[in-house]
Amino acid sequence: MYDVAAAHAPALSAAILLVAFGWCFLQVLRILARRRLLQTAILFVTAFDGALPMTRLAAALMLASGAIHLALVPGHAGITGVLFVIDGLGFIALGVAAFLTSWWRRSAVLWLVATIVAYLVWIIAGWETPDQIGIACKLIELVALGLVMRLAQPGRRTWPRRIWRAVAFPVLASLATFGIWVGGLAHPDALHAHAGALLQPVAPVATPEQREAAARLLSDTRASIARYRDPAAAIAAGFKPGPVSSAEPLRHFEKQANANAVLDPERPQALVYAQTKHGLQLIGAMYQMKRAGQWGPDPGGPLTQWHQHEGICFSPFGFEFSFETPFWTCPVGSTSITTPPMLHVWIIDNGKEGPFAADLDKTVQKQLQGS
Amino acid sequence: MSIKSPAVAANTAPSAPEIASVLVVTQASFSLVAGLSAIPFGIVEPGFRALSLITILIAIGMFWLARNLRRQRRWARRWVIALEVLSLTASLLLMLLPIGAMRGPVPVLVNLVMPASVLWLLWSRSGRAAFKKAA
Repeated sequence: MYDVAAAHAPALSAAILLVAFGWCFLQVLRILARRRLLQTAILFVTAFDGALPMTRLAAALMLASGAIHLALVPGHAGITGVLFVIDGLGFIALGVAAFLTSWWRRSAVLWLVATIVAYLVWIIAGWETPDQIGIACKLIELVALGLVMRLAQPGRRTWPRRIWRAVAFPVLASLATFGIWVGGLAHPDALHAHAGALLQPVAPVATPEQREAAARLLSDTRASIARYRDPAAAIAAGFKPGPVSSAEPLRHFEKQANANAVLDPERPQALVYAQTKHGLQLIGAMYQMKRAGQWGPDPGGPLTQWHQHEGICFSPFGFEFSFETPFWTCPVGSTSITTPPMLHVWIIDNGKEGPFAADLDKTVQKQLQGS
Repeated sequence: MSIKSPAVAANTAPSAPEIASVLVVTQASFSLVAGLSAIPFGIVEPGFRALSLITILIAIGMFWLARNLRRQRRWARRWVIALEVLSLTASLLLMLLPIGAMRGPVPVLVNLVMPASVLWLLWSRSGRAAFKKAA
């Protein structure tokens, strides 16, 4: 669900370059200070060496965030680009001020909170799509915020202050996670059929040849799997029934021996049955590639678009699923998984969704469950 | 020439336990959200009811451990080390499986870099010294 946006990729290089540049810059300042050539260098190096490791880390994280924001400016036009410039320069100024001033902490807290809140507003409003660079940048800012908040001298130890000091950071971290999540789910990009299903990039319109090929794939699949209408026949042929889940009314019968076949109607990787009042009803086949990210052939172009499931927390206890958080965490006992790409071919009328949709049409599903 | 860093005027508690506690609080917040977000799935998936509850309890425990790390309690250091070793080992093992558990910078930062940093901070000479002094 959360990938690295192509326009954001340079920010990764910027963060790495900043580390190298920062180290070189400090060494130059050390040389200048040792030779007493520049008063500012002496001031900075002495202050840097006297600073707490927490201050140094908070400053480094703010500098990293500043570099990432500035590296993202070329890919962001308008107000977002302008804000990135202001934000990036602000973080760099605060990163330096951490060693030279005593007022930087309160400013840094405000700047960090404002940046995180602004990101959430942009994401929830749909002006920006959450991607891994943006989320990693928020992680850096959250840790920097936690450090800066810990750096402040505890004031008067009244209970409200103590409680505020204890809960402010975890509450903001949790709200940031929920905010990114809500924004991502509310505004999925064009390549997400729904949360957790990434679609294969395809051309917008199918050619007449592609329409013909798609129709052929549907009829070949329908003819080939007709022999498995009775689930017992599928089991006898080596298909293994998937686990029963109360959350999933469809059951997949998989055949490991067909793992190497590629879009072969004679050897589909799985058969899909719907649980009806009268037992299991064969409703389609599923073709699957071997590895995640390895899109299969799509003879029908946009009509036969593959999809892969990602951002899913899978629990082997009961074969259950939930969604992972934007910070890639899952409940204990479950793990994040990405499935290899798959293509469903529905041999029943799949309503508006069509015969190759990632999901069974909701109305059709209800009809099947009630039949 | 003697210049005192303005930062020294701030909280002067040993840095290693303080930084480690901030990282543990961040991890605990993420776990808390993971636990809370699994509750709706628990309505139809009974397994996730238990998993979400366990995750929330572990997150609360991590907040408590972080608080005691700051207070330089040795038992908290031992518990955090045990939890982070477990988490790091699980993440490394999952990386070996072809299930796409680690794709991109965020999972690497959260599931590898953060636990490894906490371990390094608590195992480092200054980290050990901070807890020895407190004892």
